[in-house]
Amino acid sequence: MNIPTGEATLGPFFPPRYVDAGASDLTQLAGRKARGEAIEIVGCVRQEDGTPLDNLIVEIWQADAQGIYRHPADPRHAEADPDFLGWGRAATDKAGHYAFRTIRPGAPEGRAPHLSVMVMFSGLMRILRTTMFFPGDPANDADPALAAVPAARRALLVAREEAPGRYRFDLKLRGEHETPFFDD
Amino acid sequence: MQVVITPRDERTQPTRIVPGYPQTPWRNPTQPLVRRAPTLSELTGPLQVARRVQLLGGDIAGRGEKQAIGQLMQLRLSVVDEDGAPVGGSVVEVWQANAAGRYIHPNDDDHAPVDVNFYGAARLATDAGGLLELRTVKPGAYPVPTNDGWWRPPHIHFSVFGKVWLQRLVTQMYFPGEPLNAQDRIFNAVPDVAARGRLVARLLPPTGEPRNALVYEHRIVLRGRRATPSQP
Repeated sequence: MNIPTGEATLGPFFPPRYVDAGASDLTQLAGRKARGEAIEIVGCVRQEDGTPLDNLIVEIWQADAQGIYRHPADPRHAEADPDFLGWGRAATDKAGHYAFRTIRPGAPEGRAPHLSVMVMFSGLMRILRTTMFFPGDPANDADPALAAVPAARRALLVAREEAPGRYRFDLKLRGEHETPFFDD
Repeated sequence: MQVVITPRDERTQPTRIVPGYPQTPWRNPTQPLVRRAPTLSELTGPLQVARRVQLLGGDIAGRGEKQAIGQLMQLRLSVVDEDGAPVGGSVVEVWQANAAGRYIHPNDDDHAPVDVNFYGAARLATDAGGLLELRTVKPGAYPVPTNDGWWRPPHIHFSVFGKVWLQRLVTQMYFPGEPLNAQDRIFNAVPDVAARGRLVARLLPPTGEPRNALVYEHRIVLRGRRATPSQP
């Protein structure tokens, strides 16, 4: 019987040393710069009553500047940027803020440019999974994941460009302006 | 490498809101989760995590004068997929309390003593057979600061990366025969009894090797099966 193991909360004691220095900077690997436009992704994570959440873990996964995933399931992976891993981790601070430096992703086959985002925290018995899209990208309208979200809530998955190259993607785990999360 | 992911039986997974776990009603979505078909974005994932975050050794019990206090144990962990096929090369992060039930973490202000020889964290990768070995001490139980008598039983936390984004797993492992298991709100949040049972490690009969350490065996099943190659 190979039934997937039950998930559990990360709890309040995820070791601080697991958020290694540099884990949130995807723009370089072993001192070599990834190709493409460097951007920042920032945001604040809050619970239902608006309290910012401290020490919450955010992880991202994304394609490189050409829209290629560094993974053999991507038919184009042989051409993936060797200096871009596509994965990063950040922890929120006391004000609930997280920040990543990364490369603007290209569009993977059949998708708009996006970041896959997961959230792990005390009180979350299951990983919460969502997706961040870029504002004003004409490909957003045809993206199948965005199209699966009720129309009135789609804007919550589109980041706001608050300064050139800096995108804000706030997450509300529950309640008013609740971020859409995916059942997968 | 193509992985196929299908929905899980919800009874084998914890409920999101857990009675008596006061953080859960504030942090879990009220809106229905959005269903979508997985795309390449979910069916790929980071395979070289260890180039971003460093692997740490698999011996966290220490040795000689630096040996942690507590019951020495060796954990043999096996990571497989839904085919039962080993998931090799997967990064696994491990963290746990010391033998007195205390974590080395700024959030843990419990009275239990810190053990200067025990930090309680390991980051390893499974070998080609999906196995890894951890030498540690058995964690202690500890009271949850809810003032209503909830104690966490001894448990070890795991964060497992697998091969694709949808295989990422955060879970906890429990110990057999612990009376606190029956009352733990997190363990019992999984409705299916058999699924809960699979969260409990197995104590192997002592053989004298390794000396002084109890040996436990545990199995983690990640989501996903290998796609059947299409016939030409």
